[in-house]
Amino acid sequence: MVLASICFLFWTDPSSVLSQMLGASKEALTLSIELCAVYAVWLGILELVEASGLNRKLAKILSPVIRKIFNVKDSETESLIAMNISANMLGLGNASTPLAIKAIKKMDTGSEVASFPIIMLIVINATSIQLLPTTVISLRQAAGSLSPADIILPTLITTFCTTLLAIFLVKLLSKKFCGGKK
Amino acid sequence: MSIYILPLLFIFILVFCLYKKVNCYDTFVIGAKKSIPLVVDIFPYITAIMIAVSLLRYSGITNILAEFVSPVFNLLGIPSELIELVLLRPFTGSGSYAILNNVLLQYGADSYISRCACVILGCSETIFYVTTIYISQTKIKRLLYAIPVALFCSIFGSVLACALCKIL
Repeated sequence: MVLASICFLFWTDPSSVLSQMLGASKEALTLSIELCAVYAVWLGILELVEASGLNRKLAKILSPVIRKIFNVKDSETESLIAMNISANMLGLGNASTPLAIKAIKKMDTGSEVASFPIIMLIVINATSIQLLPTTVISLRQAAGSLSPADIILPTLITTFCTTLLAIFLVKLLSKKFCGGKK
Repeated sequence: MSIYILPLLFIFILVFCLYKKVNCYDTFVIGAKKSIPLVVDIFPYITAIMIAVSLLRYSGITNILAEFVSPVFNLLGIPSELIELVLLRPFTGSGSYAILNNVLLQYGADSYISRCACVILGCSETIFYVTTIYISQTKIKRLLYAIPVALFCSIFGSVLACALCKIL
């Protein structure tokens, strides 16, 4: 990608290559400093959420739903999944990943083909279930938006729909795949 | 109404922390401290993506690509200005924030295009990264339909995002 662009510019405007790269790097630095401020605020808040046990509360509320979706019998796996999903909803990315890895290890059968609950967990995480797009709102605020939070509602609706669609499709396809094998 | 969501959330969290007797100041500082190593970690990726995007744009390759893809995007109702974002989103998290920031600055934070970009980013994930990390400690090699389903839902999300931004 980069190579193609440089080759292209080699013919059209060779003097601009370095200046473009340096300009981009400078922009990246500005953005990183901005992001540093954004993350300081949100990671601070999220630390409070974690320390006060709010995320575990949410996990408890979610667990009956999770039992229905995943069909897992083991209560430890179920609570790992619940914690993973609630951490993701709150935007605690760093906390959610190790939980998911643990849950997947628990559900792992040692085979090379992923099983139904593993696929479900991956797809649900990969379609994003974040309730509050914190970084997006903050970047929008920094860019001078008059009402940076007005994207919350459309984001919530979209997230809700894509996650529902994902659950539905995984359920549907898992039946098809299992049916074909047995 | 949406302007009240964040302040209410902060009040709720702080009151809950008081109720649970969490030391708010110290805990907040511990969390805030994590932002510096995090940014140091992602800075090289942001730079790499920014350089790639800037070269692609300046060389005009993006325009050529946009011409190819825009009929499909038009059909789906996604503005063709968001091609980079939609195409790179499944691969890079910090990179897509870089692209979002470009969009915000270029078109104005309150424009239709920017709002679409925000919603698309808010409702999607770095599919390939998440998947790789999640199965990294198992022997799983075949994910069957996991990636196609995730990608399909993500595209559906983008379409829905752009449609919702028109009416909301």
